Amino acid sequence: MMCERCGKRPATTYVKRTINGQTTEWHLCAECAAAEGVGLFGGFGFGVGDLFGGFLTQPALRSAGDAVRCATCGKSFRDIAESGQVGCPDCYTTFYEQLRPSVQRIHGKTVHAGKTALTGTKESRIKEEIEKLKKELQEAIERQDYETCAVLRDKIKELEDGRHDG
Amino acid sequence: MMDKWYRTVGKHGDVVMSTRIRLARNLEHRPFPRFLSKEQRQEIVEAVKDAAAAISGLPLHFVDVATLPERERLALVERHLISFELANAPEGSGLLLSEDERVSVMINEEDHVRIQVMSAGLDLEGAYALADQVDSALGEKLHFAYDERLGFLTACPTNLGTGMRASLMLHLPALEEQGAIQTLENTVSKLGLTIRGSYGEGTRPHGALYQMSNQVTLGISEKAAIENLNGIAVQIMKQEISMRQRLFTQPEFEDHAWRSLGVLQTARILTYEEALRFLSTVRIAAAGGVLPSPTIETVTALMSDIQPGCLMTAAGEDMPPQIRDRRRAAMVRAALGRAE
Repeated sequence: MMCERCGKRPATTYVKRTINGQTTEWHLCAECAAAEGVGLFGGFGFGVGDLFGGFLTQPALRSAGDAVRCATCGKSFRDIAESGQVGCPDCYTTFYEQLRPSVQRIHGKTVHAGKTALTGTKESRIKEEIEKLKKELQEAIERQDYETCAVLRDKIKELEDGRHDG
Repeated sequence: MMDKWYRTVGKHGDVVMSTRIRLARNLEHRPFPRFLSKEQRQEIVEAVKDAAAAISGLPLHFVDVATLPERERLALVERHLISFELANAPEGSGLLLSEDERVSVMINEEDHVRIQVMSAGLDLEGAYALADQVDSALGEKLHFAYDERLGFLTACPTNLGTGMRASLMLHLPALEEQGAIQTLENTVSKLGLTIRGSYGEGTRPHGALYQMSNQVTLGISEKAAIENLNGIAVQIMKQEISMRQRLFTQPEFEDHAWRSLGVLQTARILTYEEALRFLSTVRIAAAGGVLPSPTIETVTALMSDIQPGCLMTAAGEDMPPQIRDRRRAAMVRAALGRAE
């Protein structure tokens, strides 16, 4: 049997995971198992639990594109899908719609309940965020990266609209 | 010197060895540690150190893990103060540790910040309260990445939401003896929890030690996750105790307990696995009154101290396994004394 992640090497590691009664099974080669953090010391909270790449390499997600890149770390959704690694906290906002099905599969839910972050008031944080995006937009205009420009303009508009609503 | 938590016995300590709360946090607008250069990682280490210095009433000292000898890094892993990943971490990572070693903060492990609080015995609420306090104090200075829908944003999506992993280290020799662990695994997985041998997976764990933790972090509050884990732990405890009572009535168990103590008190060479196996039996026999001595505290401290890294760290030198096994046997004999 070939590795279900890379499809190139023979599978040597079997990984089984059950969450909320839903069982997922994977056959991985040694390289992919290591890349997914499956090893002798699975560790605490990582390791087998981190088969995120596996969740993403399904046919529907293989068509992930490079058009949009995260403004903070420069990763595209294809980068994330191929490596199974999210680049930075802002990737979750940039690729929210693409990531949501995987998050749903992992947790069964997609909306946070519990402690909220304490950093600053919401208003001031949004203002800060808009300033940051405007700066990035200016840079994108200068290097004539119009695809990024479009994404950034949408994000700025979204934030500004949200602020007036709130 | 303050007593280290891992050498003490807490509430329901006959079954629950320890409680751990871990919170995963990241700084805003920065790539996760695995995508950072050494210099960028160093900046984060400094920022977290500065923020920690401002926490009042809880002095945390910085440990530069990369510069420690291997045996000391191993000892930190064995005491669950750092992960195996951090023990092997490149430069630009580190550890903040309180004097009693209950509070540890891993810097630039998988996430920028991992706050961890340990307690002896069953103490989920107490451990969470302390972790929450450290989190809020650090969060005031550091601006943790947070999204209203997804909660705290973490390198691995399995930690999104609360970023909280609550774990209990359970001593379950009687349930293991009954072959009940597999059933237990299946049952708890349906309740959003996971249970596994204390180190790694697949193999029968040494000393009947099992770690049970919450699996889901998004859409469930810290309080609800803790109550869920606590409720199930209490039921498992009851089952383990009732199985032990049944074991204690058997003359074969009494014989087995005394023989185990006899080996520990006389052996000249003890591997870690062997020592742990006998200590596991002696621990429940001592807790249940089958053996008049040693105390459960003595056994618990030994179970931690005889680990290879801890043993070599206490001795202050590296030792090949054969020498270690002799040293371990001597340490156990000294702690348990001679049989009456």
